[in-house]
Amino acid sequence: MVLCDFATSMGSSSGSSSSSSSKPLPSPQQQDIDGLLAGAGYKVRSSELLQVAQRLERLENAMGNSPADFSQLATDAIHYNPSDLGSWVDSLLSEFVQPSTCPSEVIMDPVPNQAVVSNAWTTAEPQNPQVHQNICYEQQSLNNQLTVVTATEEDSGIRLVHMLMTCADCVQRGDLSLATSLIDDMKGLLTRVNTVCGIGKVAGHFIDALSGRIYQGIGGGSVNGGSVLENEILYHHFYEACPYLKFAHFTANQAILEAFEGHDCVHVVDFNLMHGLQWPALIQALALRPDGPPLLRLTGIGPPSPDGRDSLREIGLRLAELARSVNIRFFFRGVAASRLEDVKPWMLRVNPKEAVAVNSIMQLHRLLGSEPTRNYPIETVLSWIRSLNPKIMTVVEQEANHNQPLFLDRFTEALYYYSTMFDSLEACTVQPEKALAEIYIQREIANVVSCEGSARVERHEPLAKWRTRLSAAGFKPLHLGSNAFKQASMLLTLFSAEGYSVEENEGCLTLGWHSRPLIAASAWHAVPDASAEFPAWDNQQSS
Amino acid sequence: MAGSNEVNLNESKRVVPLNTWVLISNFKLAYNLQRRPDGTFNRDLSEFLDRKVSANINPVDGVFSFDHVDGATGLLNRVYQPSSQNEAQWGIVDLEKPLSTTEIVPVIVFFHGGSFTHSSANSAIYDTFCRRLVSICKAVVVSVNYRRSPEHGYPCAYDDGWAALKWVKSRTWLQSGKDSKVYVYLAGDSSGGNIAHHVAVRAAEADVEVLGNILLHPMFGGQMRTESEKRLDGKYFVTLQDRDWYWRAYLPEGEDRDHPACNPFGPRGRSLEGLKFPKSLVVVAGLDLIQDWQLAYVTGLDKSGQKVKLLFLEKATIGFYFLPNNDHFYCLMEEIKNFVNSNC
Repeated sequence: MVLCDFATSMGSSSGSSSSSSSKPLPSPQQQDIDGLLAGAGYKVRSSELLQVAQRLERLENAMGNSPADFSQLATDAIHYNPSDLGSWVDSLLSEFVQPSTCPSEVIMDPVPNQAVVSNAWTTAEPQNPQVHQNICYEQQSLNNQLTVVTATEEDSGIRLVHMLMTCADCVQRGDLSLATSLIDDMKGLLTRVNTVCGIGKVAGHFIDALSGRIYQGIGGGSVNGGSVLENEILYHHFYEACPYLKFAHFTANQAILEAFEGHDCVHVVDFNLMHGLQWPALIQALALRPDGPPLLRLTGIGPPSPDGRDSLREIGLRLAELARSVNIRFFFRGVAASRLEDVKPWMLRVNPKEAVAVNSIMQLHRLLGSEPTRNYPIETVLSWIRSLNPKIMTVVEQEANHNQPLFLDRFTEALYYYSTMFDSLEACTVQPEKALAEIYIQREIANVVSCEGSARVERHEPLAKWRTRLSAAGFKPLHLGSNAFKQASMLLTLFSAEGYSVEENEGCLTLGWHSRPLIAASAWHAVPDASAEFPAWDNQQSS
Repeated sequence: MAGSNEVNLNESKRVVPLNTWVLISNFKLAYNLQRRPDGTFNRDLSEFLDRKVSANINPVDGVFSFDHVDGATGLLNRVYQPSSQNEAQWGIVDLEKPLSTTEIVPVIVFFHGGSFTHSSANSAIYDTFCRRLVSICKAVVVSVNYRRSPEHGYPCAYDDGWAALKWVKSRTWLQSGKDSKVYVYLAGDSSGGNIAHHVAVRAAEADVEVLGNILLHPMFGGQMRTESEKRLDGKYFVTLQDRDWYWRAYLPEGEDRDHPACNPFGPRGRSLEGLKFPKSLVVVAGLDLIQDWQLAYVTGLDKSGQKVKLLFLEKATIGFYFLPNNDHFYCLMEEIKNFVNSNC
């Protein structure tokens, strides 16, 4: 596979996140984080450094003393969130069961020369730049993350990107006449550039999207999402052509399987059933459970089908057949809703005795709005999800900042993000999967670039923002560990070309192309809410 | 055994700040878990544990970065540049213009360490280090994501280094100065230093100009056990056993440590006399167990009539440059800054 080289140059002058003076001050907890270790990717409180060091030391001694246990540790231990160094060391320590010592408390240090230990380190003055360093660390994870930039000898490619930026800037400033003339110029330039791959292909889509935005404003045509059937077909081909959705399904299923351990009645709520591609694997995995399969209920949410078909029911029937063939008691319910916010929790008929998994593959971002202060459907939906008291909520989202307030920032970010995604798609050779996958992505681009208000549903936000949002809504992370990572990596080598990479990000997993993460998978559970006595599903009138 | 272990740990604790000790001990522990006695490597665990960061086109502390994938090799290079004084230029990378038409801007091709096996160009520790290099030296840094052992042993790292050098030399947007050329230096720590040497040899033989080599406690060795190896084995984070493992993983099957890749001036090595080899800055940490090999390297260069400066940091351990919390770090940066700016 030859990577197509293309040039991009960036034009975001309104760096919304570039000035450190506009960043909020870190919380007191964050301020205590050792800034230098943060720069190395580790979060350790300065006040806990000595403790962590002592535990590292103890672990090292334990390893030295029993090499057999150590090699078992190396093969069997499952690791979580390596950024939290203290917890990581503790989890390894707890794997070492020393027969002579009491297994519970690992905090008390019986090392006789403890006094020597605490004095042995040369003291490091807290660095003045510590807080600043910390800001940078946070900032890096929230910023425009630049995608792969490849250089070409072709000047036209570079000029095309320059012009795209200028045009987007014109659109932002409202200078539509200059914007339209730039569109014409760019279309002309396109004829001289290879549009089969690389910058030519992506540029073409962005030019179309900009066109759509401009002519909408002037009273031209509207940019529509396709029909339900079209969307399903495109989605299916996107699923086949590249590993992003497979990774999403696979990672979510792993986490759900683990969360369902020990439960006899389980209920999965899928926020976007589509063809139910995610579920056969879970059904089969549940069938193979050592302690026997549970009773599985699946509630699939999806848009109402046009012309009398009931596609939700059709999918449900097919899944039921599969479940029957592997001897799982299975019940399906379809919930037809055009928008996720139209779904009421009582429609899901969740039983208080079931273990519930809520599964959202690229759906939550559709509930967001533009202004940070207004009330958008996301709040309501997250709140009723919590009221269901799910054992797990699996969330997969595009790892991109496509919901920024300024158009030019969104445009720039999207240009990088989708360039990278298209780059990765070059590795796919199967048709018509590849062509239709491209249309699928093109539709997303069109929505990000040319739609506004309620029509703009592709409001992707990065993992860091989702973490904040979900924490504020009362969810705590369930960390995805090294076993999930390893299996995701294996899946990639089986199904995909070189260049895809899985990364661990503080308990979440991302899949990207080369060093740019494009999609992020995380798992959550609800913090028990003391105030809720009667779950929302009992009240059929609830909103 | 336990007793001597405690002594070892106590010694390393005395010479580095607490957070440095935590960082490097953590690496030592993690790496121990990844190396298997049979010579295979748990790459999945390694990638899982490695802390990575994305590139960032928006300047952070005056430095921005972006990634490039070489179409021909599939190699990733991460480019770091000082941000423009003009804020309106932030977020813009112009691949059409040179770095400068009046001043010389050094371009440092950097090979990260990791004993040929660990880390990547996008590892947090190296991303941070390269950013500091850019800030302090006012240079452009290109960090090379070379293929690693044991999956890809000798000579892959050198091939990738050579490919990266050629790529850098041929970028018009990395040119500077009135002569419009790319002012290249090679640099690396540990295995990266070893790679820098071998790439420089290839460059010299191909008449490709490299202005200088910066070798930060470079990874060299040999069959014989030297005095420093025996004296410092296991004392400051590193053991002979792990060194041996990494050489076995990198060198071809059946080879020993006198292979010229490992021991360039050893019994199977060659003199570089007469070769147009770049001037070298070799930094040796006084508590590094392989310092005898590094000092032998310096002698070897000297005997070949090549220009070499030795910076011997007596109380430094390996990895002293990861955190800027010690004098050695600032001393090192000052030396590198002078080294790459001396031609201007």
